Amino acid sequence: MATISNRFEPEFYRVVHPLQDAPEAKCSSEGLGHIAMPPPVRISLTVLRGYLLLMTAMLLYHVLDLAGVLHHSR
Amino acid sequence: MRVEEIELAVPPAQAPQGIVVRRRWQRSLLSFLMVFGPGLIVMEADNDAGAVSTYVQAGGQYGLHLLWILLLLLPITYFVQEMVARLGIATGKGHAAMIYERFGKWWGHFSLFDLLLVNFLTLITEFAAISLALSALGVSPYIAVPVSAAGLITMVVTGSYLRWERTVIVLCLVDLTWFAMAYVVHPRWTAVAYSSFVPHMPPGRVTGDLLFLIVAIVGTTIAPWQLFFQQSCVAEKRLRFADLKWARLGTLIGATFTVLVAAAMMIVGDFAFRRGIHFEDPAQMAKALLPFAGPFVRNGILLLMVNAAVLGTTAISLASAWAYGEVRGWPHSLHKKIWEAPGFYAVYIGSVAAAAGIVLIPRMPLQLVILSVQVFAGLILPSAIIFLQLLLNDHTLLGDRWVNRPWNNWINWTIIALLFALSLLLAAQVMLPQLFS
Repeated sequence: MATISNRFEPEFYRVVHPLQDAPEAKCSSEGLGHIAMPPPVRISLTVLRGYLLLMTAMLLYHVLDLAGVLHHSR
Repeated sequence: MRVEEIELAVPPAQAPQGIVVRRRWQRSLLSFLMVFGPGLIVMEADNDAGAVSTYVQAGGQYGLHLLWILLLLLPITYFVQEMVARLGIATGKGHAAMIYERFGKWWGHFSLFDLLLVNFLTLITEFAAISLALSALGVSPYIAVPVSAAGLITMVVTGSYLRWERTVIVLCLVDLTWFAMAYVVHPRWTAVAYSSFVPHMPPGRVTGDLLFLIVAIVGTTIAPWQLFFQQSCVAEKRLRFADLKWARLGTLIGATFTVLVAAAMMIVGDFAFRRGIHFEDPAQMAKALLPFAGPFVRNGILLLMVNAAVLGTTAISLASAWAYGEVRGWPHSLHKKIWEAPGFYAVYIGSVAAAAGIVLIPRMPLQLVILSVQVFAGLILPSAIIFLQLLLNDHTLLGDRWVNRPWNNWINWTIIALLFALSLLLAAQVMLPQLFS
């Protein structure tokens, strides 16, 4: 069976370093304002805030305990 | 897409710049090499001094039993950093800028404060490691630390991103020496293979110390600064949409290399474990190993500690400087001369100089600081990844092309759940230590 093959190969490829290339249009947040905050997202962020504060306090306690600072003050 | 048009075949006489090649594979290889850099640097710089300490400590205390955690962390770290690279390429902006712009000032400043605090504490550990390692080699800390700080500052003030990147890639490749050291200490290869692929815990009860170490391993393998660093680095290198596949490949190579180097560190620690050597830090271990493994291993560990600290310091300081510059709206680029971006360079130089100065204060509990930093980083990482996850689902900003696919989201939420679980375990250990004693 006869076949037709497309064996076209460009003769040259020009590879341009990103820093030497012209800038391209990116996804811009210009004029978009803040991200949409439906209740689940807002609640998640509030819970996250509480989690971070709690964890930081507990870590501080742990480090002070390991360092022996709490034992000295007792 | 515009960049694809640029890379189409064009007669060389008409093209203004770039390198002309004749073969498709040559184009692919060259494109990859031009993009390669941020993925390797962000991963290998994470094998910093604290990581060296954590991994050899894991090997020194538990032998090879925790190797499987590294293999588990390989896909996790890749998936997280792939999202970072994608977001950086899509927006051309850093992570701090995106949080600030999309989540508002409160979260922007909160994330920035967290980042700067953890980064600064980490920098102290880097200089502590330089001090420890070079002291063991007979160099006074009062010479080693200031000279290292001066070298680190010189690396970035030349006004050339590419010069900095090439220097750091060479430093990353120096870490290949860890493989030679792992080979020299004659590990039990069957045990290495078993511990890598069969998850199990060390013999005995799960203690608080073991849990602390596991959280430290996770905290040091996936660190918050990495999210900020790689996105800013990708933006700094001006990677284009068409570069994403090469950025992904670079990130995968970097993640694999980093995990293998970490495994080599654990294997060296296991060598000390098998000989019953107890140590507080890698420098002590290096000195204790001299009679058993010879000067190559001893000097190698000490010099690689310094290399790890230098890598970590430059990447972490840059993460801080980029993030601060983005949020403040200052010029923030390694392409600029020092007088063109004074605030950006001031943050970098100030971080390096202050951390170096603190380390020279006598009797600092350095090993404690190192472990605590890894754990603190592990604790705040879930929040950093949540912002990443929300940004990668921001259709308004990214459109349908760059947002996470459903399988991305499943993987990422699983990772977040895992990180939260580890954090909660740590909290339980702190509040109820009797559960683990």
